Amino acid sequence: MIRLTAATAALLITIGSASSSAYLKLGAMVNGKVVDATWQQQPIGLFISDRGSNGITVADVRGAVERAAATWSAVNAAQVRIAVQGITSAPPEGTDGKNTIGFLDRPDLDRVLGATSFMVDTTTGEIYEADIFFNTSFLFSVSPGGQSDRIDLESLALHEMGHMLGLGHSAIGETEVLSNGRRRVVGSGAVMFPLAMTAGTIADRVLHADDIAGIVDLYPTAEGVLETGGIVGRVTKNGQGVRGAHVIAFNPETNVLIGNFTLETTGDFVIGRLPPGPYILRVEPLDDAEPDNFFPAAVDTNFKVTYAPRMVVAPRGGSSAPIEIQVSPK
Amino acid sequence: MKRGLLLAVLALAPAVANAQEGPGLRRGHFTIGAAAAWSGGYEVGDSQALLRGNGPGTSPTPYALFNAKSRLTSATGPMLQVGLALSRTLAFEGGATFTHPHVGVSITGDVEAPAQDLPGERLEQYLFEAGLTWQLPVRLGPRIAPFVSAGGGYLRQLHEDRTLVETGQIYHAGVGARYWLRGGGAASKAIGLRGDVRLNLRRQGIDFENKMRAYPTLSLSAFIGL
Repeated sequence: MIRLTAATAALLITIGSASSSAYLKLGAMVNGKVVDATWQQQPIGLFISDRGSNGITVADVRGAVERAAATWSAVNAAQVRIAVQGITSAPPEGTDGKNTIGFLDRPDLDRVLGATSFMVDTTTGEIYEADIFFNTSFLFSVSPGGQSDRIDLESLALHEMGHMLGLGHSAIGETEVLSNGRRRVVGSGAVMFPLAMTAGTIADRVLHADDIAGIVDLYPTAEGVLETGGIVGRVTKNGQGVRGAHVIAFNPETNVLIGNFTLETTGDFVIGRLPPGPYILRVEPLDDAEPDNFFPAAVDTNFKVTYAPRMVVAPRGGSSAPIEIQVSPK
Repeated sequence: MKRGLLLAVLALAPAVANAQEGPGLRRGHFTIGAAAAWSGGYEVGDSQALLRGNGPGTSPTPYALFNAKSRLTSATGPMLQVGLALSRTLAFEGGATFTHPHVGVSITGDVEAPAQDLPGERLEQYLFEAGLTWQLPVRLGPRIAPFVSAGGGYLRQLHEDRTLVETGQIYHAGVGARYWLRGGGAASKAIGLRGDVRLNLRRQGIDFENKMRAYPTLSLSAFIGL
């Protein structure tokens, strides 16, 4: 009776990327409406696949996964509980009723460090099963201080577990083009940014404000609802709505950056679960990115980076009055 | 020639005597005043939108997306004052001022956008103050008397959408002068003008760095002694 649909989200390395903005949630179409894909029952049980890779043992994987799970679970205003339930001989793929995380040989995905696949109940939006694989084509590290030639496994697990919980990619980040034409991250404002930091970096073991806002939006506690606010508005160009614009909210007092996209052709946007306070709003096109890293729809990238003319307040427990941000073509 | 000088001196004598007494407040009586008040602008904080840098270690050098320098603009608004004369020279006063300053923002350092000044949001700002004025023993003329003032107050700032209130405290010290158009003696009701110049220290309220800020205010009022 349960209709399931599969989806995959991945952490990529050195491919097209975005500059700046937003947490994004995974959705499921239920009765013609898009609803958030979330886990309805907690704790979310995880099994570790019984396979090591390139010097990383199963116990190493378990340790990195448990630390990453603890990081997500520690978000105060969100109700997230993840429990590692044991070791399994099953690979981290397929539909077997177990949420499995571990190494998998995927030499065909030469730029994909890891990925999360889901089974979602399309009648309710409930995530039914999720598997996370780490690609054995890469070298990983669980060293507390990182290793210069290896990708930090805990950071990767934190990112993929964000997907497992229902978060899509954030676009808060900046990249530079290398001589080989690939892109390198120069700065990131979210663990859920789709491009990985270079090998040896361990800074992404810690969640950013954008990640926290996203997880609170999916699994809010009562306090999370009451103690946060939202900003709503519309991005327009020549009087018409703009789809695919990134809107970043920056609080000049706390310096947090949280954002979202205009997901529809109306140009409407909602940035939810913001710590209350005034925010500077910055809108930019996804013109240096692969838009399908974020959502599968045509986006308008022909406009200039634009700031809202005034700061907008995210009120505690409510939403701002709508603000229109008019952008102009390049 | 000598007689003429003597007559002039005699004629001035009452005025000098009056000036020595000087105009003053009526002890135990109230004064009310209405003013136009100008409040100077001041910085409310520099901030940087920082991204986590891509480098080794737990805290690599961050990447600045843009810088924002915020400023509360100057503003002019009405002020009401009520004073109670404790003596001919000392008065306890209270006042309320309403202004509409803006929180303007200057954006710099954005590699994808030019430096720009955002008009900012319009605040509703209320200031409720109390303090003392003391008339200086300085004679500037028969109708004018300088004073010094000091006090403090409560600041209430509402953001443009009226969804967030920020409060703070103001401490001020200043100088001013009252000019009596009528009265100024112990037995007569007074009408006059008054000017104030103050240096204010503002604590809390809208400030992105939570610093004490100094700014000037000027006011010109008309007062009536009751």
